[in-house]
Amino acid sequence: MAEHSDYFDQVAQTVVDCDKDACLRLLDEGIDIDPLETLEKGLGKGIRQIGDDFGTGKVFLPELIGAADVMKAGVAVLDERIKASGKTRESQGKIVIGTVKGDIHDIGKSVVASMLQANGYDVVDLGIDVDITEFVKAAQEHKADCVGMSSLLTLAIENMGVVIQELKDAGVRDQVKVIVGGAPVTQEFADEIGADAFGYDASDAVKKMKTLLGK
Amino acid sequence: MEGFTGKRVGSCFAITDEECKQIHETVVRVLEKGGMRCDDPRAARLYEKVGCKVEDDRRLIKIPEQVIQNAFKTCPPDFMIYGRDAKNDVAIGKGEVHFATVTGRYLRDIRTGERRKVTRQDAIDGARMADALENVHGLYKSVMWLYDEPPLINSQILVGEMMKNSTKGMTWVYNTGAPNEVPDLIRIWQIAAGGADELKKKPHVLGHVIINPPRVVDVNYTDWMIGFADAGLPITVYSATMAGATGPATLAGMMVQVIVETVALVVLTQAYKPGHPLCFCSFNPSMDMRTGLWSFGNPEYSTIGSGIAKMAQFYGVPCVAFGNTDSCDTDQQTAYEKAMILFNYALAGISLTWTLGGTAGFNFCTWDQMVLDNEVAGFIGQYVKGIRVDAERLSEELILKVGPLPGSYMHEAHTRKWYREEFLIPELSNREFFETWERGHTELQEKAKAKALEILDTHESPVAPEIQKEIDDYLDHVRKRDVE
Repeated sequence: MAEHSDYFDQVAQTVVDCDKDACLRLLDEGIDIDPLETLEKGLGKGIRQIGDDFGTGKVFLPELIGAADVMKAGVAVLDERIKASGKTRESQGKIVIGTVKGDIHDIGKSVVASMLQANGYDVVDLGIDVDITEFVKAAQEHKADCVGMSSLLTLAIENMGVVIQELKDAGVRDQVKVIVGGAPVTQEFADEIGADAFGYDASDAVKKMKTLLGK
Repeated sequence: MEGFTGKRVGSCFAITDEECKQIHETVVRVLEKGGMRCDDPRAARLYEKVGCKVEDDRRLIKIPEQVIQNAFKTCPPDFMIYGRDAKNDVAIGKGEVHFATVTGRYLRDIRTGERRKVTRQDAIDGARMADALENVHGLYKSVMWLYDEPPLINSQILVGEMMKNSTKGMTWVYNTGAPNEVPDLIRIWQIAAGGADELKKKPHVLGHVIINPPRVVDVNYTDWMIGFADAGLPITVYSATMAGATGPATLAGMMVQVIVETVALVVLTQAYKPGHPLCFCSFNPSMDMRTGLWSFGNPEYSTIGSGIAKMAQFYGVPCVAFGNTDSCDTDQQTAYEKAMILFNYALAGISLTWTLGGTAGFNFCTWDQMVLDNEVAGFIGQYVKGIRVDAERLSEELILKVGPLPGSYMHEAHTRKWYREEFLIPELSNREFFETWERGHTELQEKAKAKALEILDTHESPVAPEIQKEIDDYLDHVRKRDVE
């Protein structure tokens, strides 16, 4: 049996159980274990399990979101250790996400954020009613691979086009992909404003992200 | 329009009187301890004026029990939504059950069968359909958006077309947030009523003021509350809290949070204008945990709704509701979900439910579904009547006279007198013998489509041409001001 395999399984199980306290406790206990390995064989395994269970209808959004929250907390701890060891970890991609200015709807955006996290992406969630410049600033600051914008309001979705323009003006549009979503958003609208993709629901957003980032 | 009524209307089997008190006590504790976040200084001043504590940089409002009691004391127990034609007047809170339309952002074109986005012509058609159908007592937006009109003037054109094509009362909820939305719509409603005073005297619009869950009093809705109250329009106060997402996943927890949020708006409205008519409203889906969709066709949705109606009774105010299905177009799921929800609502004594025509949780609509729902509304009206017991209906003498065999009631004048009132004679539902049906029949939905087409081809607007012209002139002014 491979070294520490029981430990990794326990870490994975805390993700499946949505048990953040247990996860952080185990990570404390495993301070001497290779963080990259813990990430892949522990947290990663757990989140893949949840993703599979969600796909087959064994668990639902509350577990998926709960598991993504544990994953996020665990990754934050492990990231520190990885950095300290001078190594780098491979990410599926970094995504800056938010509900655009003029709209306070949170749920759809948060579900997409959790689904992306559950699929191995690093997500920076800017929240709701996010200023145009906030998206641009965050994209630059976090060296994002993709900017994701959400809105449920027909007037507010116009701001998605404004953000894309600002990304161009800031000279970073060619460095980031842009994906948009929300009930009034359509493929036509996404094309019109020059977005790279439109996700009609959270699963579709993940699929489109995989195509966009080629990972 | 006379609504449906019966002696058991207003009975909720979801919660008991004792549980109402328990919910109320919890509501009071949450409002006193946690309160509401308030992003609007005008609202904060109003809350402060009636004795609420304003804390945390004037952004947190804590509401003491005495303030809650005072607010409900000034709420009228009932009010009217007037038709602009007396036959379309609707009483809210007087024990009658009414049904109104609801639509969507998409529609199945009745002529081509194509599912597409809604346009201005659909808004006209929706209003005419609602105007013609006998069990439609009022209108929600006659479509949810005009995809062929600019966003900035979308609400104005939509309401203008509704006012031009039906005299039934309507309801309005925040749409675009465009800068002129509030004053423009109030002006259009005044034109339709024949002036500002006429609108105050006979309001034909029920306004909506909503909370941002969990527990935030919103700036936009304060604008609307003030706009509605100044124009003399009754208001429905509610929260669109979604179980499992913006509210607790337990139904009892949902009751607490929804009533907390609703009561906060009752206090705000009564602080601004004591005695202003208002009602509660049920619009509280649960989140579908597989897709994240806000689900309306589920049993918990209308169970929470009937609980809200019970709490409205507890506080002495009326209650209205939204009803819909999660099914995307007309099918068996649409039929059973809508029928069960509406029946439950009617028994709970909900005065008005926006439901006819809509499917896919307020995203889709068809005129044939509106015709089918009109039929269902008639069935529900018949159910809630119950059994009316009086000497003539008891039929004692008749029974003694006709029986035993070979007597028959077919020949009796009593039968001719009573059957039309005591039986429902459906317009569309199948009542053929099986053999006749099997030899050839028209499917129910086809019958509904035919009736809808007939209405669209023949039903003319009842609105006076000079009013229509005045509205058109105002819409031209709005377009020139905001778009051109």
